[in-house]
Amino acid sequence: MTATGTLPAWRPFAAVVRYTLRATMPGRRWIGVLVPCVAAVLFGLLARSEGGVPDQAFAEMAGVALFGLVMPVTCLVVGDAVLGAEVRAGTFSFTWLSPVPTWQIALGRWVGGTTIAAGCLGVAFAASALVAGAADQVPSVVVAAVTGAAAYVAVFIAIGCVARRAAAWSLAFVFLVERLLGAALDGIAQLSPSWLARQVHVDLADVPVDLLRDGVPQGTGAVVRLAAISAVLLVLASRRLAHLRLSGSAD
Amino acid sequence: MSAPAPPSSGARQDPAFVDEPTVEARDVSVWFGQKVALSELSCSFGAGVTGLLGPNGAGKTTLMRALCGMLPVNQGQVLVTGRDPRRDRSVHRHLAIVPEDEAVPRGLTPRQLCEYVADLHRVDDRRVVDWALDTVEMSPAADRSMDGFSKGMRQRAKVAAALVKNPLVLVLDEPLNGADPVQRHHLISLFTRLGAEGRTVIVSSHVLNEVEAMAERVIVIVRGRLAAAGGHRAIRDAMDDVPRQVLVRSTGARRLAAALVGHEAVGGVRVDGDDLVVSTTRAIDLAVALPRAARDLGVRLTEVRPLDDSLESLFRELVR
Repeated sequence: MTATGTLPAWRPFAAVVRYTLRATMPGRRWIGVLVPCVAAVLFGLLARSEGGVPDQAFAEMAGVALFGLVMPVTCLVVGDAVLGAEVRAGTFSFTWLSPVPTWQIALGRWVGGTTIAAGCLGVAFAASALVAGAADQVPSVVVAAVTGAAAYVAVFIAIGCVARRAAAWSLAFVFLVERLLGAALDGIAQLSPSWLARQVHVDLADVPVDLLRDGVPQGTGAVVRLAAISAVLLVLASRRLAHLRLSGSAD
Repeated sequence: MSAPAPPSSGARQDPAFVDEPTVEARDVSVWFGQKVALSELSCSFGAGVTGLLGPNGAGKTTLMRALCGMLPVNQGQVLVTGRDPRRDRSVHRHLAIVPEDEAVPRGLTPRQLCEYVADLHRVDDRRVVDWALDTVEMSPAADRSMDGFSKGMRQRAKVAAALVKNPLVLVLDEPLNGADPVQRHHLISLFTRLGAEGRTVIVSSHVLNEVEAMAERVIVIVRGRLAAAGGHRAIRDAMDDVPRQVLVRSTGARRLAAALVGHEAVGGVRVDGDDLVVSTTRAIDLAVALPRAARDLGVRLTEVRPLDDSLESLFRELVR
């Protein structure tokens, strides 16, 4: 009746990416993504209204508001949608009950989620820099947004693989681990997508060095660190996916 | 974790096992915290349709998920075509489940869901998507978003997605829920046909009549344990022998009780005010004897209803 296993090996991976883009972001999730992105632009206006040197004002605002709030919230909405929410809803079984290797599933979900998060954040952060009058910082803030979003989505996918209440654990990670502990401990900040993305932006934008945090990688080093975090967490996620408990939405 | 093998085929008289199993559960136990969902359950499934019967909360869904590898077993072993579905993902090439959950991927149409499953399984011939949608009579709605579908339509879309895999083992969890009578009849015919083609079809339900309509073999689970197994006639006979209690309200409960005592259909009587509770193992005979006795005594019957005639109570009696 059917001929199976004759399509190219990349086909299932492409299908997972396409499915992630098409089916994991219902309307409410898009609102959860777009509201912080609009807020990012408003933060840009706020930086401009403060007066002073636009580059300096935007860089300071970006460190606190864009990388400390907008980026984690947006990525949390997307990262939870691409895996944790599907596991809770009981629809992940359509993907899981297939011969596709778990690393392809994890990677496909990450590519799809990163495309959404990085696309939205990249545009929003660029617009924020423009309205703040810091057009020179558009490339650096976009690079920081894309690399930070990639790492964040990997974090939230990994949390979705290990915790049933992925959204709650993800919030705890952002606000307790990164914001509270990360502000005090360099060791935490060195592994925090929020702090590392901030370092990428400040270093590449060539703004005053007092915005850089000592003891945390900067510029290209931070980009490499973010890539390494993404890779390690995707390996962890793909291993955990094989042992997932799919108990359905009613349980 | 090793588990004892089922009895050898030569000595296999146990109706819970089949001679050429494609799916085996060996002393399977699953628990969630303090709650035991399955307890040392052993059975096997082969070609044809097998009904999985049990009251709500009996462990049917847990067993089906364990058979598909969606849940790990705490004890025992599950094998599908001789392999562990938790460890060997290639098993999923031959295995499909239609979960009871209403949830379907948001925003997708049935056709997109089928195409997604086809891509995951690297199905080359895309005509199979149309065939699957046609088979469940979903073609007219194939390009509509499933978000607005009824439960029955969602179930049919999921059946279509399962058929795209061309599975050797098809696990269907309450697949008739929400289906209208015409669709119900159509799906029962489909499952029967798939079983006749040599596939292993496992269908769960808590309605005996549904299971009877499609499965020759039935496995009954109650409170996570195997309660009975065999042909549906044997299960039906076992249920008919279960003692039941019937509440009779009348204008002369004591006189009626006195008349019924000693009747061969009556196991015992209890009078409580105007209420008469009659125990019987032969409900049909009682249904004849009761109005006859009431007429002879000039007593008016105001209410007659079974106290424990739910399927759950019958299942409970089976495992006493």
